[in-house]
Amino acid sequence: MAELTVRDREGSPGKSAEPRTGAGAGLLRGIATKLGTALIVLFCVATVSFFLVRLSGDPVKLLLPPEATVEQEATLRASLGLDRPLLVQYLDYLAGLPKLDFGTSLFYDQPVAEVLFGRLPATLLLAGAAMVVCLLIAIPAGIIAALRRGRATDSGVMAGVLIGQSTPPFWVGILLILVFAVQFQVLPASGYGTFAHLILPAITLAVYSVAVIARLLRSSLIDVLGSDYIRTARAKGLGPRGVIVGHGLRNASLPVVTVIGLELGSLLGGAILTEQVFSWPGIGRLTVEAITNRDFPLVQASVLFFAAAFVVVNLLVDVSYTLLDPRVRLRS
Amino acid sequence: MSTQHPPRQGPRYTRRDLLRFGGLAVPALGASWLLAGCGGPSAASAAGNVLRVTQSEDPKTLDPQKQGDMPSMNVLINMFDTLTSRDQRNRLAPRLALSWASLDEHTWRFRLRPGVRFHNDEPCDANAVKFSLERLLDPSTASPIVELRYVAGATVIDQHTVDVHTSQPDPILPAKVSLFGGVIVPPNYLDRVGSDGFAREPVGTGPFRFESWERDHELRLRANPTHWSGKPALSGLVFRPMPNPASALAALQSDEVDLVANLTPDAARQLDGYAGVTIDSYPGIRTAYLSLNTEDGPLRDRRVRRALNHAVDVPLLIDAVLDGKAREVPTMIPRESFGFDDSVTPFTRDVALAKRLLAEAGYPDGFDTTLTASNDDAQVAQAISGLLRKAGIRASVNLLDPGTYSDRLTSDNRAALGPIYLAASTGWTVDGQSNVQSNVRRDRRQSRWRSREADQLIDAQELSTSDSERLRAFGRLQRLLKEEAPFVYLYQLDSIFARNDRPRWRPNVVGSLNMASAEVTDG
Repeated sequence: MAELTVRDREGSPGKSAEPRTGAGAGLLRGIATKLGTALIVLFCVATVSFFLVRLSGDPVKLLLPPEATVEQEATLRASLGLDRPLLVQYLDYLAGLPKLDFGTSLFYDQPVAEVLFGRLPATLLLAGAAMVVCLLIAIPAGIIAALRRGRATDSGVMAGVLIGQSTPPFWVGILLILVFAVQFQVLPASGYGTFAHLILPAITLAVYSVAVIARLLRSSLIDVLGSDYIRTARAKGLGPRGVIVGHGLRNASLPVVTVIGLELGSLLGGAILTEQVFSWPGIGRLTVEAITNRDFPLVQASVLFFAAAFVVVNLLVDVSYTLLDPRVRLRS
Repeated sequence: MSTQHPPRQGPRYTRRDLLRFGGLAVPALGASWLLAGCGGPSAASAAGNVLRVTQSEDPKTLDPQKQGDMPSMNVLINMFDTLTSRDQRNRLAPRLALSWASLDEHTWRFRLRPGVRFHNDEPCDANAVKFSLERLLDPSTASPIVELRYVAGATVIDQHTVDVHTSQPDPILPAKVSLFGGVIVPPNYLDRVGSDGFAREPVGTGPFRFESWERDHELRLRANPTHWSGKPALSGLVFRPMPNPASALAALQSDEVDLVANLTPDAARQLDGYAGVTIDSYPGIRTAYLSLNTEDGPLRDRRVRRALNHAVDVPLLIDAVLDGKAREVPTMIPRESFGFDDSVTPFTRDVALAKRLLAEAGYPDGFDTTLTASNDDAQVAQAISGLLRKAGIRASVNLLDPGTYSDRLTSDNRAALGPIYLAASTGWTVDGQSNVQSNVRRDRRQSRWRSREADQLIDAQELSTSDSERLRAFGRLQRLLKEEAPFVYLYQLDSIFARNDRPRWRPNVVGSLNMASAEVTDG
């Protein structure tokens, strides 16, 4: 198993540091091990989702109107291959995975990969934009709150982000639509395609994550700013900017990066309400529809996509640790 | 103190450099996404004679023979023609077929409109009709369209005449080919591009041609100048799915769409009084009722079932819950449908009479029961429960997600949805047969009533090709349904639309979004 190792603070880099090529090889080995683990995780997710989704009921009952006869149901079931033994269906599914062949969507009658990856640009765009909005607000908010700890500014900023976190996204979305689309008519109410369409959904989606990141950055920064090495840096005559950005923020960023990674994973798959409100053609909305329709192949592929997104983001977070903190190594 | 490093063999980056690059990469990546977004297709424009319509769902597929739901049909009916159609007065009317006649009990002959061509200039003739019917019935098509269950095959008589053979008499076959199963597809084009290619770029004979589709975002059609009925007044048609009614209404208010289709009465009420927004409510065909399990408990007694019908004050229900946007029905057959008998009147709404009937049946203090409904009908179910309580019937409401509801509705266990459940039938054939086909005759899965006479009447209207015989059977059946009360009869829902000042269009009772005759006015 790959693990993160933090070297002893007092350890002399000069003596114990491996040659650079060795460090690079170690990093690659660590990534390879992580990827191996990720494959096992994805296999487990694929298996569990395959069997769990089949407990939800019979998709043929939803494909056909209630007037359909038993014979018509049986014919359709056979045409869709749903009458084959479960094990055969499972092995078929597994055999397709390496080729990214997830089967054919029962409802859309289209290859699942085509349906799913067709939504990917919209999902990445929204998640990426929301993360940019989120960081643009959360990082200054966290820094200001930490530097003004205990003062009115701190309370004000934290109260603001908390209100954001406590407000349901569908309500924020509708409110933004009413103000900017209906009242002032400066932004579109819904849809997809232009930069203007992205603004309201990105803000709506970012509002929740802002609080999570800002609060964590604040507490982390407060902790770091009380450290000895900050006092030393100040004693050496380093200016406030150098102290905060060069030493404080850098050291406070480790836990924040972890949370940013997790939040990005959530943004990729958790934008369901925002996508509904803004009619955004993303994967979250597609997944909800697939679950409602019992579109087995599509649900399986969506679950696998979300799992893969989390695995990749976590891997990136781990790699970023080694870049942020020289004491951290990815080890096999 | 110095550290030994191997000699440099090219540019090397420190951790700090990588961090800087990483820091630059994030906004760069974000910017590229944003730019990608800016370069995407533009939103529907109001320019020209383009009508922008929104409904809650996108079509499932653009292959008309692989879908069986109204949101898909609403779009496809603009690209494809069916053999027959419903006119504005709800009468069966010619479309691709100019006339039709029953040759014998098992054969319908359709005479086709000459000179019709698909959008790719392929002729739409008897061969295309035969091909379409056979493709629909081929199990490998996996079509969810079930109405043509008795069609056994088709024979081409000449270029413009086709005979459709059925395994048993099917008196309403011409009505059944006015939507879903009646769509004609191009054989040569399908042969060339295959089913996948056809679904990606559909080719029909309809008043609009396919232009582009970005699933769950926007579907664009442009007018077909060579349509057999003439060029549509609209130059284009845009469908945008909006699952959230509040967003759809906001899009209407901010002039992003012109017409919001198929609103619930509740959603329509929210828009009342907004400037520039008009709510149109048209008679609809979807008919709601309560199914009673007449084989178990108090509901075995006809007096109890009649008491329920007297207790549920349907006009009050329509006013209070549906904002007046529905019409009371005497039984389950809607007013516009073939077979509706206007001599049968709705039950009088009389709580005292309901209590008296319950007392006569041995339930002077009422009884406890359960009313099951889909989540979508929660408000109506709660209101009915309240109305029943006034007569002493304490019906606790059991709400199910639509999937579970559907499973139980069509399960072999006829009591799976409990003693009472709320149901509705769409009956788009506009023939009473559709409303009573799966819930009356004893051998049908949703039937919870044994009546030899009802079974015979169902057979009579299903198997006879004589209109007068069928009308007689329907008339007697409706009187029997009222006497025996195996259901509680409720209402037929209106079709509700919200629009701005641009669209000029009205639907027929089926409520499909056929926009061939629609117009828009600017200014």
